[in-house]
Amino acid sequence: MNGYTNKFLIINLNNNSIQTIPTQGYIEQFIGGRGIAVKLIYELTPKNVNTLSPENVLVFMTGPLTGTLAPSSGRIDVVSKSPETKLLGGANAGGFFGPELKYAGYDGIIVVGKASSLVYIDIFNDEVEIKEAQHLSGKGVFDTVNALRKDDKDTQIACIGPAGEKLVNLSGIAFSMRNYAARGGLGAVMGSKNLKAIAVRGTRGLSIAMPDLLKDIAEKMRERIKNMPSYQEYPEWHYKLFSILESDSKSFFGNYEDTAWKERFEAYENAERFVKRAEFRSETCFGCPLRCWAYINVKDIGGAGIAACQGTLTSLVNFTKAKDFDKIWKAYLLCQDLGLDISGTSAVIAYAMDLYSKGIITNSNADDGNLPYGNGDALISAIKKIARREGLGAVLADGVKKASEKMGKDAEKRAVYAKGGLELWLMEIRPFKGAALSCAVTDSGSHNRATYGLCEFYYRSMRKQAETVAKNLVGTEEAAIPTKYEYKPKLVAMYENLHILADSLGVCSIPFMPVGLELWTNAYTVCTGMEATPMNLTTAAERIRTLERLFNIREGLSRKDDTIAERLFNEPLKDGAWKGEVLDKEKFVEMIDAYYSLRGWDREGKPTQETLKRLGLE
Amino acid sequence: MIVIDYDKCIGCRTCETICSLSHEGRINPAEARINIVKYEEMGTNMPMLCQKCEDPVCVTTCPMRAIIIDDSLGTQIDYSRCIGCKMCIMACPIGGASLHPTNKKIIMCDLCQGDPQCVKSCPEQALEYIDISKLSLKKRREGVKKLARFLEEVKI
Repeated sequence: MNGYTNKFLIINLNNNSIQTIPTQGYIEQFIGGRGIAVKLIYELTPKNVNTLSPENVLVFMTGPLTGTLAPSSGRIDVVSKSPETKLLGGANAGGFFGPELKYAGYDGIIVVGKASSLVYIDIFNDEVEIKEAQHLSGKGVFDTVNALRKDDKDTQIACIGPAGEKLVNLSGIAFSMRNYAARGGLGAVMGSKNLKAIAVRGTRGLSIAMPDLLKDIAEKMRERIKNMPSYQEYPEWHYKLFSILESDSKSFFGNYEDTAWKERFEAYENAERFVKRAEFRSETCFGCPLRCWAYINVKDIGGAGIAACQGTLTSLVNFTKAKDFDKIWKAYLLCQDLGLDISGTSAVIAYAMDLYSKGIITNSNADDGNLPYGNGDALISAIKKIARREGLGAVLADGVKKASEKMGKDAEKRAVYAKGGLELWLMEIRPFKGAALSCAVTDSGSHNRATYGLCEFYYRSMRKQAETVAKNLVGTEEAAIPTKYEYKPKLVAMYENLHILADSLGVCSIPFMPVGLELWTNAYTVCTGMEATPMNLTTAAERIRTLERLFNIREGLSRKDDTIAERLFNEPLKDGAWKGEVLDKEKFVEMIDAYYSLRGWDREGKPTQETLKRLGLE
Repeated sequence: MIVIDYDKCIGCRTCETICSLSHEGRINPAEARINIVKYEEMGTNMPMLCQKCEDPVCVTTCPMRAIIIDDSLGTQIDYSRCIGCKMCIMACPIGGASLHPTNKKIIMCDLCQGDPQCVKSCPEQALEYIDISKLSLKKRREGVKKLARFLEEVKI
């Protein structure tokens, strides 16, 4: 089959066995990427598996568009049972690893078992070897990548930092020095297998069914991406994202207690000044015109230059209210090097800072409990302690929910997280009913894997566009209004489908909507030679979504778990554009009912027999 | 020739994929005539390809005279003569020629017979196909712009 490499690796670290399995049997129903990964996890994971045991399964899977000419096709999906949520843990990463893996001849890699000592997997085309990695033990991501690239700079690396080795729930898997499969503690799963890294280099390439048509379609897709309203501004988002979040009234500060932190503008200015004095070069992922990344280097600060992500940089400031951007930059480099999920890590530190400000954490009950908001040094020290599981860091390393359960009733009340305990993503949730629903029903917690770019998010800054999208998707402009509960279940289900398709085809969810499903479908057809329609891809997305649900149900999830932290129901916003907004329990429950029904699940959230039959999942 | 503006390149590698797709009908950076050389830790993305030298060492090195110089397209490989000895790869100071990984033919940029696909698809216009005689004049104009900006700053 064109577009695919038609086989994936299955590596058992218990006995160093390396085999390949044909991809063919999974394609029609599950497309690739996230879809096939979920199917494999469902098949291979023993029920109620201990997430850090050798039996847990870790899957890296590319899609049929990964590594092709289709723009943004650098993606790879990583799925396992999450140690943080004990549910499906999925994360998707860009960069250059996915394409390289396909050029080596593999659609994906399944890792099971546990090596007796630290190892890495070295792949060059047909040569796949499990190699000893003791020399990389405790090493940061940057050193690990450099060490594994010593002989060939074009090698692509997936690796964990010390945080993954220490089984920190907030650890992710780094792809070279920048992109991360960050969320859900997948780094800890990799660490539990004594697998430090996967190095891949490929020179086999990919067959394409209709090369000339692919050139035309890719050209059109690039044009659409370049016509996105935000396209021109993208390279400046490293400091402008603050004001963009403001213009949509999505910002919050600290541990979700305030949306109008007085000193924020000073923080934004510091960020702008920092970025403007830095050595700065726009960068991007494989095949993508968007430039979400930029190489940033400031001499004498942080000891390294690195390509930085706009969202996570912003996240560190808004959560911790640290205004000194030199410290923020150091914190960013540390997280990237230690192997931490920056969203989760900044959330848990903001949580600890909140508890400190309320006297729940004090210097006396934790020797390192001195965590005032805004203190950059305290932030940096907390990051190091989380990655090493030292002192208070050992408690915070498990994430907000588990930390809150260990610190008493008052602490529990302050905790904010999505389903399963995954920290929320960088935006206030209470006014955005679609995002709130998404956090509760999604496969693995936070909405960043379900409803990226939901039209309600940009309603305030680009009302016309938001309304047009809402009208096209669910038939009414009103669906775009953030505070409306009506229409949100349908909107969320449709965005989820699109997001699943992006993750399964192997492309990025950011340009997915602006390019439009029609063109992605065409790209799928010309790459693979298989006829497809937006309709049957959408059915595949529904199938994948329902299989994710079946996995979670098998692991003990029930309707009561489909919720979001209590504070968001009982603590109205006290300031800002959405003053007074809070989630209404009754309407929230109604949204969940409606969502289940749209998915063909019963009132308990279980897929019905008819649904299973319709989707071929009996 | 294809002129590279290093400051504009964002490292997306679209030039590599379109090059291999155009020449080979498949996607493989190892079969591309252009590659972006990356030094991730330094933020470097440098597109590298045959520079169509005026006095090409590949031509003088080739024992079979299989590299000819076309008036408008510069060095081109005559595959009827090429024996795949790889002397051109060894001689080229910048890696302009390479070996196809499967069919073992020598490959180098042929400027797509005057319609270079990489230039067309580069989203940042980091690659430009222009008459080399116009390059220095263009660069002098850009230089004046930079100078003007500098003088402006000095005034303030």
